Amino acid sequence: MTRIDELRILVPVDVSETEPPPLDVLDHLGAVEVVLLGYFPVPDQAEPALLRDQYGPEATDRLDAVADEHGNPAEVLVFTHDREATIDRIADEYDCDAVLTAGRSTVVDRVLVPLRGDVNLDRILAVVADLLLAGNETATLFHSVAEDADPTQGELLLMGAVDRLVEYGVERDRVDWQLSKGGDPQTDIVELGAAYDLVVLGETEPPLRERIIGDVLSAIVDALDVPSLIVRDVE
Amino acid sequence: MSSEPRRYELEEGQMSVEGNELERTLGFIEAMTLGGGTMIGAGIFILPGIAAEAAGPASSVSYAIAGFVALLAALSLSELATGMPIAGGSYHYVNRALGGLFGAVVGWGMWTGLMFASAFYMIGFGQYLVEPIPFLDGRVFIVGLGLVGLVLLLGVNYYGTEESSAFQNVTIGVETAIILVFVAVGVFFIDPGNLEPFAPFGPSGVVSTTGIVFISFLGFEIIATVAGEIKNPSRIIPLSMILSVVLVTILYVLVMLVSTGVIPFESLGDSPIPVSDVAVTYLGPAGVVAIVFAAIIAAISSSNSSILAASRVIYAMGRDGVVTDWFNVSHPQFYTPHRAIAATGGVTALLILVGLEVETIIALLAEAASFSFLVAYSLVHISLVVFRRADPDGYDPSFALPRPLYPAVPVLGVVLSLVVVSQMATVVVVIGSGIVAFGVVWYATYTRGRVVSEGLLSEAIRGKPAEPFRVVVPVANPQTQRGLLRLAAASAHANEDRGTPELVAVNVTPVAHPSPFQNVEADRFEHQRELLESAHDIAAEMDVTLRTRTVVAPDVGEAILDVLEEEEADEAILGWDGTLERDGHVFGATVDPVVRNASCDLSLVTLRNETIGTPVALIAPGHNAPVVAHQAVEFATVDGTVPTLLNVQSPRGKSDSDAEARGRSVVVDAAEAAGLDPGEYDVQVVVADDIGRAIVEATSQYDTVCVGLSERTEGSRIPFGTVTERVVHDVPGNVALIRGS
Repeated sequence: MTRIDELRILVPVDVSETEPPPLDVLDHLGAVEVVLLGYFPVPDQAEPALLRDQYGPEATDRLDAVADEHGNPAEVLVFTHDREATIDRIADEYDCDAVLTAGRSTVVDRVLVPLRGDVNLDRILAVVADLLLAGNETATLFHSVAEDADPTQGELLLMGAVDRLVEYGVERDRVDWQLSKGGDPQTDIVELGAAYDLVVLGETEPPLRERIIGDVLSAIVDALDVPSLIVRDVE
Repeated sequence: MSSEPRRYELEEGQMSVEGNELERTLGFIEAMTLGGGTMIGAGIFILPGIAAEAAGPASSVSYAIAGFVALLAALSLSELATGMPIAGGSYHYVNRALGGLFGAVVGWGMWTGLMFASAFYMIGFGQYLVEPIPFLDGRVFIVGLGLVGLVLLLGVNYYGTEESSAFQNVTIGVETAIILVFVAVGVFFIDPGNLEPFAPFGPSGVVSTTGIVFISFLGFEIIATVAGEIKNPSRIIPLSMILSVVLVTILYVLVMLVSTGVIPFESLGDSPIPVSDVAVTYLGPAGVVAIVFAAIIAAISSSNSSILAASRVIYAMGRDGVVTDWFNVSHPQFYTPHRAIAATGGVTALLILVGLEVETIIALLAEAASFSFLVAYSLVHISLVVFRRADPDGYDPSFALPRPLYPAVPVLGVVLSLVVVSQMATVVVVIGSGIVAFGVVWYATYTRGRVVSEGLLSEAIRGKPAEPFRVVVPVANPQTQRGLLRLAAASAHANEDRGTPELVAVNVTPVAHPSPFQNVEADRFEHQRELLESAHDIAAEMDVTLRTRTVVAPDVGEAILDVLEEEEADEAILGWDGTLERDGHVFGATVDPVVRNASCDLSLVTLRNETIGTPVALIAPGHNAPVVAHQAVEFATVDGTVPTLLNVQSPRGKSDSDAEARGRSVVVDAAEAAGLDPGEYDVQVVVADDIGRAIVEATSQYDTVCVGLSERTEGSRIPFGTVTERVVHDVPGNVALIRGS
């Protein structure tokens, strides 16, 4: 297990919308590489090429405008029938470690990292470590255990995770942890997330495209007001 | 750590924004459900009654024939789709292959065919809703419900839908499961007596029914239409197309056998909801509910696919200028091609309304849709042949029909389509021909003049535009140019299997600073003109196509290199005066850069006597050896001789026969690598202690000597062995130095 070294995140932006999404968070992530994906959702009834011919220049301008505002990252523009498949493919193609969803945060000081267990844990921690080393945020690791379960299991998980971050070179006083007992993890994360500037979530198999719509992860992402960083599960 | 390489990669990605970002997201399962799901539709729920009435129990054979015709079309479409993954499907292939006239015929035919099909599905939808409910009765209700269903569908499509494969998969799964239960249980209720006589109306009844039920197979083409989105297309496109057509055919045949086996075909023929009437006998009311449910879902999804397919065809026609692009302006808010959808819907609604007056509307619509698509697929088969023969640039299918499937599939496809069409009802043939005629008139009045699409037909008739095998000969000296051109013509002819022989004679006039205003002395131009004129005469004698080029440039060598590049020369033959190592150049100021940098096979020839005679090639192990051997064979054709491939060995203290065997194997290996037959050359092996002298002595017996130049050009030096040097100096005959590309 190694660090990721150069954290690269994919930022999907719907370029059919006139209003650019709130992406202030991008300016506060420090030295993180960004790939800006402008996607134009094409309805089943139309050919992607048809909309590209009609809206290509407009979409390019919008994407350029977003890029100009946030330090001119690399841009990719796609007209697609299937947003999730596109996000997945471009993330793969550009070797992105995580996908950022937009949200209202003007600064990034506090990061919430809910951990579900061992699933995808290595990658989540590697991304968090890179994120912290690239900026000045503090992170709270969060785990939820059932009412009747033994809490020491959860504590061990969280403390182990903190140690791991410290091993990566993160100062110990920038990381704390919180264990919740008996609540519904989903509600806990959404409620707690309101007090943070960014939430880092782990994607698990099946891939992002199925995860984003109609399951726990996407419910959380939708309910959160703040941006979230979804760590891809590429192995 | 440097991020340089990554940056580059990102910029590459950015570049592709301007190109076509195609999402290859569909795997085998997705392609199968797409093709199968689009196919399994209303046809099988609505048509068994009509089919049974016209063909009896043998209507299952009609389905099998229709499936086979669809399979042939699927095979041809597979190849075309992997060659041109672009929106438009059949219309596009025909338009490219056969030009705008047939493009217009097929485009309009497919559009109207899809409207016929859509109206057919919606009337079937009305029948399945009306019939089971006793107090609803009559044509008005059927037509009215069909219209309501259509309006709902149009509304949904006008506002646009996002891809929801999950929903589609569920509906397809439910439909298929219900049909499978129907078949699996029904098999046990077949009364063999019902299947006798099997074909009460004879073969013509079976074939004419094929024309009606062919509509049940519409939909497999969608796999070709989305070819650009399919992963591993060379495998998945043909596999999923073939398999989905075959499986659906089997399913249909079984449904038909069960239906005619359970209920006598006469009473089946009276029913507008045949499958439901069969199901009630052994699955009871629950079976009826299930079948009605499946039929309704199927009608909606089939009609929806037709509307989607129609907007794709209209898009492609608008893109090519066959219809106005006005149809393709997308809705400013929903981004759907709302005009195309509205136009399709309007005509479909009119077709449904015809059902108020015409009793046999269902069969008519089905047959008219089948007609349009049979005509379209016939032209697709012809297009495949045209593409194969014309072999245009950019057509490089990753799946090609193997022999003998090609040409059997397209030929059989056209023949069978015509047979089926010929057995159709007269009124349908009239309507269908009317639509074809409309396409022709449309082309003549609207398209022509706007569209430059010529098609590939004329190229296909002329045959493949042959790749030339091009030999470039720089000429400057009237004394040597005849000899050089003779060698070049021989080389080009000897390579006829690689392309049509073609010579390019180039003369470069050196000037210090070329400019269009500068006067080159008149006598130099005169010299150039004479030179190239006589080159034409020589070429005419030798029966080879010759083009001449004149270049004015400051540096002759650079100019020759440019010409080699532009002409994509396969071979170059340069004359050289036979001197070496002079003024700091190996062969001369002009020749050196060409030898160093040319990327084609190169022969450097010094002509010392008139006859080329019998050439000898000096074969030493190395990758130049096959080129040298082949060149000797090429030159030998000038005087119709058999060249000698020579290898000289030192005895190395062993017996001469060992050395001789060694030498022979070197020669044979090189000849084999050059693709030469043993009869095309003689072998000579000389064993001697002084190799250099032995070579000179042996080669002096021949008129022309071919020697390899090593291709290990490090830096600017042209490596040059002492053996080569001795041959050049001491051999009295013609010498050709050969360097492979």
